[in-house]
Amino acid sequence: MKRRTGKRALAAALAIGVGAALVGCSGGGGSADKGVSLEGGEYSGPDVTISFWNGWTGGAAPVLVPKLIKQFNDEHKNITVKDVPMEWADISAKMPLAIKAGKGPDVSVAHGDDLATYAAQGLVLPVDDIVKTLGYKAEDFPSGLFDASVYNGSQYAIPWSVTPLGLYANTTVLKEAGLDPENLPTDKDSYLKALDKLKAAGVQGEWVDGYVFTGTFEFESLLWQFGGDLYNEDVSKATFNSDAGVQALTWMVDLVKKGYSPKNVAQDGNINALIGGKTAFNWNGVWQTTNAALDKIEWKAAVVPQIGTEKAVWSSSTHWIFLNNKGQDKNKTAAAATFVKWMNDNSSGWAATGELPAKNSVREDPALLKQYPNLEPFMKELEYAHYETVSPGINGANALITTAVNEAVLLKKSPKQALDDAAAQADKILQQNKKQYGG
Amino acid sequence: MASTSLAPVVPRSTSSGGPGRGRKTGTAYLFLAPFLILFCVFVLAPAIYGIWISLHIWNPLLPLKPFSGIDNYVDLFTPGSLTFGDFWESMTATGIFTVASVPFLLVIPLLIAVMLNQKIRGGTIFRGIFFAPYVLGVAVIGVIWQYLLDPQLGVVNHVLELFGLPSRIPWTVDVPWAWVSLVGVTVWWTMGFNTVILLAGLKGINAELYDAASVDGAGAMRKFFSVTLPGLRPVMAFVTTVTILASANMFGQSYLLTNGHPGTTTRSVIMYIADQGLAQNQMGAAAAMSYVLFAFLAVISIVNFRLQREKTE
Repeated sequence: MKRRTGKRALAAALAIGVGAALVGCSGGGGSADKGVSLEGGEYSGPDVTISFWNGWTGGAAPVLVPKLIKQFNDEHKNITVKDVPMEWADISAKMPLAIKAGKGPDVSVAHGDDLATYAAQGLVLPVDDIVKTLGYKAEDFPSGLFDASVYNGSQYAIPWSVTPLGLYANTTVLKEAGLDPENLPTDKDSYLKALDKLKAAGVQGEWVDGYVFTGTFEFESLLWQFGGDLYNEDVSKATFNSDAGVQALTWMVDLVKKGYSPKNVAQDGNINALIGGKTAFNWNGVWQTTNAALDKIEWKAAVVPQIGTEKAVWSSSTHWIFLNNKGQDKNKTAAAATFVKWMNDNSSGWAATGELPAKNSVREDPALLKQYPNLEPFMKELEYAHYETVSPGINGANALITTAVNEAVLLKKSPKQALDDAAAQADKILQQNKKQYGG
Repeated sequence: MASTSLAPVVPRSTSSGGPGRGRKTGTAYLFLAPFLILFCVFVLAPAIYGIWISLHIWNPLLPLKPFSGIDNYVDLFTPGSLTFGDFWESMTATGIFTVASVPFLLVIPLLIAVMLNQKIRGGTIFRGIFFAPYVLGVAVIGVIWQYLLDPQLGVVNHVLELFGLPSRIPWTVDVPWAWVSLVGVTVWWTMGFNTVILLAGLKGINAELYDAASVDGAGAMRKFFSVTLPGLRPVMAFVTTVTILASANMFGQSYLLTNGHPGTTTRSVIMYIADQGLAQNQMGAAAAMSYVLFAFLAVISIVNFRLQREKTE
């Protein structure tokens, strides 16, 4: 294991920029003797082919991504990017072993909640130097997003996209209940008023479910709105069972108890009910803006109402990662950095996939909103959006939040009981994570 | 008679085995070899390696895989440990599913097989119809039934409503309905397989036995219990064992149809093991759980075979 740590330290030291100081330490390509040239973010070394794994297999991506990559390849004589799309699940299954064998991709995209796990396992390269060379600063991205890829004091990824939760409304249903679709509820009072009016018209206004999509996202948004957080500062203890958590979950359960929501909503039951005109509101992710079924109805999206004491909303994020393959060629990593910068600069089309480009200058370009007006509320939310918890192995603990939400929403346990039980088990997992991954 | 014409064949085959036995066994092994190699590489070796894994804190992606002795097993039997509660809850879930589904998966296919064994018009078509769902993948049946069984929007509840029956049944969301759905969908999905095997077994029962029973004045029921069932016994032993093992390995249905909800009530043990080993990288603990499950299934299989053998004797 000592050798292993040494290797990892070496790999870290070899990262671009510093690499120049280690002249003569040849990489896998055999032509790295001159160090790595990535001046101003433009790779100028020998010709390389880099492999890019991504999980973009649905929606607009399969057309968009090859187009972008072709354009990049045409513009860069010395870099050829090979696009390798596959299911996200396949990536998580194959990539770790491929990297250990030195056959993984040079660059890939990962979800925020996997970053720390990958970093702790030594699968990804720290990118502090790449970030410096490319000139990225935290202010180039929505607030808090840059930190969502910092683990143990090092930056391990560069943001690519964010996908916050929003309030979807079926405006036909609203009109029929006598509500103004131009003025969607923004806070607790107006939201309850709308739900009451809908109830009087025989409509259960928001169907609350107990699944990851989207009951858990709604719960986490509410938890932050009530001033709570999922875990403590160093992620050694679950705090989602705090008063804020109980208030958040009680709000959701009360929607069921008071008849604003039916009992026993199944997976995706709420968005399907919204599309079917059976309900008015659904808290759902920005990705639903590309749901073709919504084209058939009159709908509108808004920022999630502020139920608690402060503004907050759940968001997930995806990030560029540079892989720490056995014998990784520094030139390839440098070329990958050029590719990442170019992609981020040209990411405005990414909005077509129902995700928001992370780079502020691209996203805030008025032309983008002109083309995708539905994205406006989601963009507004980014000021106060919360991203994934950065901690290795966190997904095991996160799963328990869904268990608690599910048990409470189905009225099997009281909100407090459900959250306490989940937190107790989550603490055991966090303890195990600390033991295994350290930090 | 058919049986007497078969009789001389038997001694001939054994006596001729004498002189060329060595070569014949060699040939047999030669033909068995490809399977044997695959079995050793993909079943036996991993199974043994699994024991080694179960004795470690084995996170496949970490360089350090500390030896932990039998800790993983001890945890499974220590209340309050990380895995104790979830593991036994999932074992219970699998137990409930197995106990609830196996009887249906034996009785219904048996009845269908007996009916299809009659010389009825379009028997082959019916056989095809009963077998059809079996060719579908679990992902397909999972998605189909999730739509059909949706509590508020599904077709099943809608039809119940038309008949004035309770129409807000949480088929995929809450117990006990989730169990009804899981068992029902599984029976619909896999009964064709058992039916076809039992049908083959029925065809193997000598028709003259039925004639003899008729001569003795046996009715349809008596024939079923005195001729059909005893005649099916070897086939039944096989079908029972395979069905129990298949039910105990249930994964896809609860993964897709109920997500293991409410809470984690319908999370089967295979689902939990897969989550621990593959999603949470706790290979050591997951391997230990597999061996505990294996021990349970081994005992059940042995008891099952013992019971069937005693009956045959």
